[in-house]
Amino acid sequence: MGAPWPTTVVKPVVNPELGVLTPERLKHWAFQPLKAIDPPARVEADRKRQPIDRFVLASLAAKGLKPAATADRRTLIRRASLDLIGLPPTPEEVEAFVADTSAEAYPKLLDRLLASPHYGERWGRHWLDVARHSDGHGSFLDPAPLPEAWRYRDWVVMALNTDLPYDQFVKVQIAGDLIGDGRETAVATGFLAVGPTYISDGGDPDSVAKARAETLDDRVDTVTRGFLALTVSCARCHDHMFDPIPQTDYYALAAVFNNTKMVDRSLVSPELLKRTEEHKKALDVANAALKKLPKDAEPDRRKELDAEIAKLKASAPPAPPRIHAVEDAGTADMPLALRGDPRKPGPVVPRRFLQALAGPKPPAWTKGSGRLQLAEAIASPTNPLTSRVMVNRVWQHHFGRPLVATPGNFGLLGEKPSHPELLDWLAARFVADGWSLKKLHRLIMLSDTYRQSSRFDADSFRTDGDNRYLWRMSPQRLEVEAWRDSVLAVTGELDRSVGGASVRDILGSQRRTLYVAVSRNGDKLPADEFLRLFDFPSARATVSERTSSTVPQQSLFLLNSPFMLARGKAFADRLTREAKTADGRIERAYALLYGRPTTDDERKVAKAFLGTGEEAEMWPRYAQALLSSYEFTQTR
Amino acid sequence: MKFRAHESAVRAALAVPSRRQFLNRLGAGFGTLGLTAALADAGLLSAAETPVAGSPLAPKAPHFAPKAKRIIQLFMPGGPSQVDTFDYKPALAKNAGQRPVLVDRKSLRNTKNGLMPSPFGFKQHGKSEKWVSDIFPKVAERVDDICFVHSMHTDSPEHAGAILMMNLGHIQPTRPSMGSWLVYGLGSENRNLPGFVSMSPRAQPRGTLANWGSAFLPGAYAGTYVNIAQMKPDAVLGHLRNPVLKPDAQRQQADLVARLNQLHLERSEKDAQLEAGIASMELAFRMQTAVPEVFDTASETKETLELYGPGEFAKGCLLARRLVEQGVRVVQLSHSIDGYDIAWDTGHDDILKGHAALAKACDQGIAALLTDLKRRGLLDETLVLWGGEFGRAPTSEGAKGRDHDHYGFTVWMAGGGVKPGTSYGATDEFGLSAVEKRVHVHDLHATILHLMGLDHEKLTFRYSGRDYRLTDVAGTVVKGLLK
Repeated sequence: MGAPWPTTVVKPVVNPELGVLTPERLKHWAFQPLKAIDPPARVEADRKRQPIDRFVLASLAAKGLKPAATADRRTLIRRASLDLIGLPPTPEEVEAFVADTSAEAYPKLLDRLLASPHYGERWGRHWLDVARHSDGHGSFLDPAPLPEAWRYRDWVVMALNTDLPYDQFVKVQIAGDLIGDGRETAVATGFLAVGPTYISDGGDPDSVAKARAETLDDRVDTVTRGFLALTVSCARCHDHMFDPIPQTDYYALAAVFNNTKMVDRSLVSPELLKRTEEHKKALDVANAALKKLPKDAEPDRRKELDAEIAKLKASAPPAPPRIHAVEDAGTADMPLALRGDPRKPGPVVPRRFLQALAGPKPPAWTKGSGRLQLAEAIASPTNPLTSRVMVNRVWQHHFGRPLVATPGNFGLLGEKPSHPELLDWLAARFVADGWSLKKLHRLIMLSDTYRQSSRFDADSFRTDGDNRYLWRMSPQRLEVEAWRDSVLAVTGELDRSVGGASVRDILGSQRRTLYVAVSRNGDKLPADEFLRLFDFPSARATVSERTSSTVPQQSLFLLNSPFMLARGKAFADRLTREAKTADGRIERAYALLYGRPTTDDERKVAKAFLGTGEEAEMWPRYAQALLSSYEFTQTR
Repeated sequence: MKFRAHESAVRAALAVPSRRQFLNRLGAGFGTLGLTAALADAGLLSAAETPVAGSPLAPKAPHFAPKAKRIIQLFMPGGPSQVDTFDYKPALAKNAGQRPVLVDRKSLRNTKNGLMPSPFGFKQHGKSEKWVSDIFPKVAERVDDICFVHSMHTDSPEHAGAILMMNLGHIQPTRPSMGSWLVYGLGSENRNLPGFVSMSPRAQPRGTLANWGSAFLPGAYAGTYVNIAQMKPDAVLGHLRNPVLKPDAQRQQADLVARLNQLHLERSEKDAQLEAGIASMELAFRMQTAVPEVFDTASETKETLELYGPGEFAKGCLLARRLVEQGVRVVQLSHSIDGYDIAWDTGHDDILKGHAALAKACDQGIAALLTDLKRRGLLDETLVLWGGEFGRAPTSEGAKGRDHDHYGFTVWMAGGGVKPGTSYGATDEFGLSAVEKRVHVHDLHATILHLMGLDHEKLTFRYSGRDYRLTDVAGTVVKGLLK
């Protein structure tokens, strides 16, 4: 729905046999198998170039561009820390890294960061954008929270921390309940269950059918854009206008989700189940005994039983955790909806995979809902999109710009890859490395390309202002999570505990921003306004790229919010505690903020400001200004 | 102006302005102390640079010459009954209690009873001799400025879906609001104020944020919500005042931040986003005075205050005028009394009591707004839209009430290029269904965009592989409404 046929172009004549599965459309690069391409030969013998660098250097040379020098160590450790764990390094970590001149210092740093439990918190949040994760349903008529949505969030963090192979990561999110007995993996289906569920506010059957269709659209869209970067949802009302996706493909997948229902499951381990049963039995016995006692008789025995019951109640085993998950609820195929109108059913479409990827006449899925088959088709090593799409997402967060500039659309209207051969090489390597994300991070971050300085170069800028060809590291603005967490880390207030129930009022908490309760509508929870102000994405639909806006309201928050006033005070207190003299405190501030010495100008500006009033008043104001300055919102 | 903007193109415009854009964003902020010198140092000021369009909210050229530059939507959630307000149907009295074939349409709503005449009297008004219900005596005096559309129809007889259809063009909350489309297409004329302000007394209309949200359009285009009952500057814009620092101390602190940023800028040589950050700090400063000013009605004359009369909705009408006067592009003022999110739904049990109280609460304010806009010369370029999400059936629900009717209802417009003193289209003789010159909500939207200088088929935004527009794949400009 929504995209009008381009009026300037004559409507193409569609071969009824082929429909939109035309050879021209099927020739599109993204549908081709991964090309096994060797990196270009080493061109500079004096540098130990990684394969990644050889691809990048070749395209730089073709544009007459040169790579930047390697970044200094202080910059590098700050960049890598914020990138992998979303927190700045401590001054002590910086000094140790600077002092360790061995060749192993940097690889060791990466290993330490990748092993940190905070890695999953940082990169899990990137995935939660794609999963349009929220702690609320989504129909504004149903503001009911999803109280257990955080268990899916914690599962994502855990999966990344344990380096769950990405193909498994994909599979269990679509069909975790159908793999084995599902006890361990059903929680991953929160990917589907914790999605917007639309309802209508009256009994009008048309409105109800449309709401259901909207819910199914979310599932098709999130799965196909999220894992495959394909806009299958565009084929809900008619054949896709640009991609080889006929309307039947949409209903072949929509039926899979139409056969799937959301359920709450208990996560009972056999051990807990036994304990719970025994406890209940003991309590029943005691209660029965108490009941049997004649009134006003045997006061001692009564007292004894009362005490026993109280004791049992106090030692009750914990309530089994509950999760939002899905399960199969049908095996039906769905009719195609003419013009997307659920009231106008067309021919019934068998459930099956996308024809552009599976070839003509793919086998129908008849087992259960079809989710397991869908999961297997997406997670297959021969699927040319799954690995490319994920490799592109990982690259995007390391460099601030993906290789395919439209990470949610690899179709014909998407951007062409800036480095097509590098993309294929990385994707093939990713699969060969057992779909290990940690190996992929290491591979990318060990490259000279990643280690480049972000230094500006006027000539290169004129040729390639967007830095598409990677002649330097692009300075990147931190997302709201990493920025707020960094503020709390620097003031010494951050609570670094991992996991747990969502925090409603994150601004009043010292927990990491990842743990905030997110509403679907963006207007129900205390932190919504703060998050939206700093470009936290809407959980309405899958998000591949956040906007990065600069608006005055952000400055008002920095200048006037109770949160920032309190951080200024906390930072000033810390500086006062940790250094005696004004010079020492200023020095300490810069070490904590950036891991670097203060410049003369910065010291001069600071002293001029601090000298205009009482120490007790000026230090918190100065500290707040430091936390509000732009440099602190960036990695370079 | 290229309207088929790509998602990332808009993102880039928001995030990384060119040096020229940066200077525009800075706009009138040049006069401020400290920063000007800092910028001159950084080589960011040059006499040759003159402000041109650039930032996401800066004014943009429309597709063609607009009739209206601004719009005020007076939204009546809940469903005002057409036959008890502006769609006079004398046939109801003659056929009271009967159930002619014409009204025997399939509906899940409670519309199975006989016809019920309006409990209100109707009189003719103005040169246009328009029949108006006695519950709108003041609006009745303005009928010669008004263009009534009696042949509206919509897709759902349920509140939420129909409210969203009216404000988003879609029955689920997944699309940008009309106001956000307009600000996306046209920008704002005042950079110290939000481009789109949505207001209501106490209750927000059902659907809340979606009614003024920007969905997949960049957040800069979303409306800013103001609750008229709790109007403090800080409710308008978060963190507008520093709870501790006096203005001069705050100025000093902001200059320190600007100075630190400038030192950083010198080191990094070229960083457009940082430049924008410096500018936005300065803009934030100006907002601290501009926002309280526009929402403070103390400077209005006694005569003007009396024209609008008492009450929160009337205050909203006065604020609407003040906002459009300052160049705010879109003002959405939703009606509500008693904190009810679908105020006009009080017609189920008793049209007489429910509708009379609602009309009383908004009649004078609406009429005053039209009068005031006109005498200030603002009405010509300001489009005023009045209406709910659907109407109410001419048959009774219970003894004295009416249930929802999405087959036919009335909205009206005034100013901004619509034909004054006219009525367009018609419902059947009992007022149930639009039968003559039918206007769907998509058509209304296409017409509003047209009046604002935008082609509804060209105002698109590419998101998730599709070009979206306010009117989905439908909508025709209703030429008969244009002056």
